[in-house]
Amino acid sequence: MDTNAQLWYIIREYIGNSEERGLDSADLVSFLLELSFHSTGKAYNINTLSGIQRTIIRDLADLGLVKLQQGRKESWFIPTKLATNLSISLSDTSSRKQEYAVVETNFRMYAYSSSKLHCEILRLFARVEYQLPNLIVGAITKESLYKAFQNGITAEQIISFLQQNAHPRVAERIPTVPENVTDQIRLWESDLNRVECIPAHFFEEFPSREVFEAACDHA
Amino acid sequence: MVNAIKGLMISCDVPMAQFIINMNAALPQSQKFIIHVLDSTHLFVRSDVAGMIRSAIAEFREQNTYEKPS
Repeated sequence: MDTNAQLWYIIREYIGNSEERGLDSADLVSFLLELSFHSTGKAYNINTLSGIQRTIIRDLADLGLVKLQQGRKESWFIPTKLATNLSISLSDTSSRKQEYAVVETNFRMYAYSSSKLHCEILRLFARVEYQLPNLIVGAITKESLYKAFQNGITAEQIISFLQQNAHPRVAERIPTVPENVTDQIRLWESDLNRVECIPAHFFEEFPSREVFEAACDHA
Repeated sequence: MVNAIKGLMISCDVPMAQFIINMNAALPQSQKFIIHVLDSTHLFVRSDVAGMIRSAIAEFREQNTYEKPS
């Protein structure tokens, strides 16, 4: 998911919760839309806002959408780029994904990137072995995947991440990530859920088969 | 008269079922938790042992892993 989609997901949840906390969602939505028309980096006086809008501003400051500034007599809020991007449609691909990862059939992974963020992301589910100035070498192992699954990352998320960030060299290959790797990731995920527990009742000593059939039909 | 017993139904594959039955057999009589073995992939156990079964399986799984020292 790109940044905008993630942001909107959080905002949707926030609007959903606002009803329970006594904040009128219509006010909230109209204020959010107003906010997206403000210019980034320009300070606006908080006194121009109503009480409800001040509460909203405080929540948005926690999320990182606006910056609060305290003057001597007045306080200001400054919308960040995130806030003004709210009104841009979700299909905006201005943040182009860089393609950098190659996955081999022997579970080795090479990422042609020097970004620390990429290194940390890969470290989440793979064992990073070497980090060179322009290359990150790693391996997808059972232990590293178990750690990822325990952190709540699903196999589908890992596989789609690898597919979306595939290096142009392997992008032409169909499928982009080798099938044995994707199958093995899914198998290791299901290995964690081998036993399924269902609360149940056990009925025994039915006097006759008819009583049993009648009970089944009733259920 | 029909007896009704409240418990947990476990649905798994054959090796896991055998592992649980084995674990049950190793426990002293007062702690045995299987109420009934339905077939090779389903068991009926006491409700409070779900966590214990999960942790026993996780321990068994961890015995077969090797982490390369970095």
